[in-house]
Amino acid sequence: MGLFGPELRIPIDMILAASMNPDTFSTHEDSIARLQRGELDALGAVMARYQHRLYRFLHRLLQDPIAADDVFQQTWLRVIEKIGRYDARRQFDAWLFSVARNLAIDYLRLRRSSSLDSPDESGIAPIERLEAGGQSPLEQLLEFERGTVLAAVVAKLPVIHREVLTLRFEEDMKLEEIAEVAGIPISTVKSRLGRALESLRGKLELK
Amino acid sequence: MNTHESIRKLLPLAAAGALSQQEQLQVEAHARVCEICRRELDEWSVYASGLRGLPQPSTPETLIARTQARILREREAAAVRWNAFTLCGLAVFSWVASIGFWMLVRELSGGHVEVLGTNLVSAGPWFLVSFAVASITAAATALLVGNRSDAGRVL
Repeated sequence: MGLFGPELRIPIDMILAASMNPDTFSTHEDSIARLQRGELDALGAVMARYQHRLYRFLHRLLQDPIAADDVFQQTWLRVIEKIGRYDARRQFDAWLFSVARNLAIDYLRLRRSSSLDSPDESGIAPIERLEAGGQSPLEQLLEFERGTVLAAVVAKLPVIHREVLTLRFEEDMKLEEIAEVAGIPISTVKSRLGRALESLRGKLELK
Repeated sequence: MNTHESIRKLLPLAAAGALSQQEQLQVEAHARVCEICRRELDEWSVYASGLRGLPQPSTPETLIARTQARILREREAAAVRWNAFTLCGLAVFSWVASIGFWMLVRELSGGHVEVLGTNLVSAGPWFLVSFAVASITAAATALLVGNRSDAGRVL
């Protein structure tokens, strides 16, 4: 043991491997810049960073895992196609989500001849995703029940309401970013968010 | 609309953190003195908290690998289409250039340029030379395009 505690030993092969990996020292901005220069090997790092958030967003919008999977793939194809037009001064998150959002809306338009505001079927949340946070099994079950009920009600909201709710509460986006993703003014985001919450409460009270 | 009603309309947005700082302060000040609004704000806060903790959809494990494979497939298909288009364009251009050049040489030479005992400007030899030059150019282009597409496999 060293003078100030246990010595930290890092195997030399790990250090060498890390130093040879171009992603080790590159930041997210570097990856985006490399992607803009046409270096597609940077795509893996960018995709890995956004995969869960983007998939969740698409899942909430489309309410169908297969469709979310397909539109996720289409999104990255479109990103590669359009990355040259991305302005690095803007938030990449908002740009990426707006690409995904437009593809999801196109998908819904093709899939349904009815209005985008028509209700969708609810999503399924497997019980194994229950978080174990020191609660009793009964508390966990109640918590799960509440989450499931809320998710089912959210799934029944129109897509424009689901969109603002997931961007605000799950993606934690500011109103300006939501406006950029949805391509609407901030005042519309505010009113849409308010109506989405009112609608959510109305449906929950009916349950 | 009185203050109570106008503040009440802002409560869902207050719970969503979607108000300006000034509006938020107004709501908080009113909620301190209005029991109804305080309770309603609490209720909205429960909804907001629930929305932040919705059950998460699980991302498929192979999603990134499948996406990369699809990107590669689609880029290769696009490259093949583009190469075929380019080669067709080059072939058409080379034949048009050959005919144009042939007409020019005929005009300038009076219809006779003898090389190794053959009149090069007559249709048969000119066609054979043009065909050989076009074939060599096409083969070289195909090799260059092939090398470039191999170099592009970076995913």
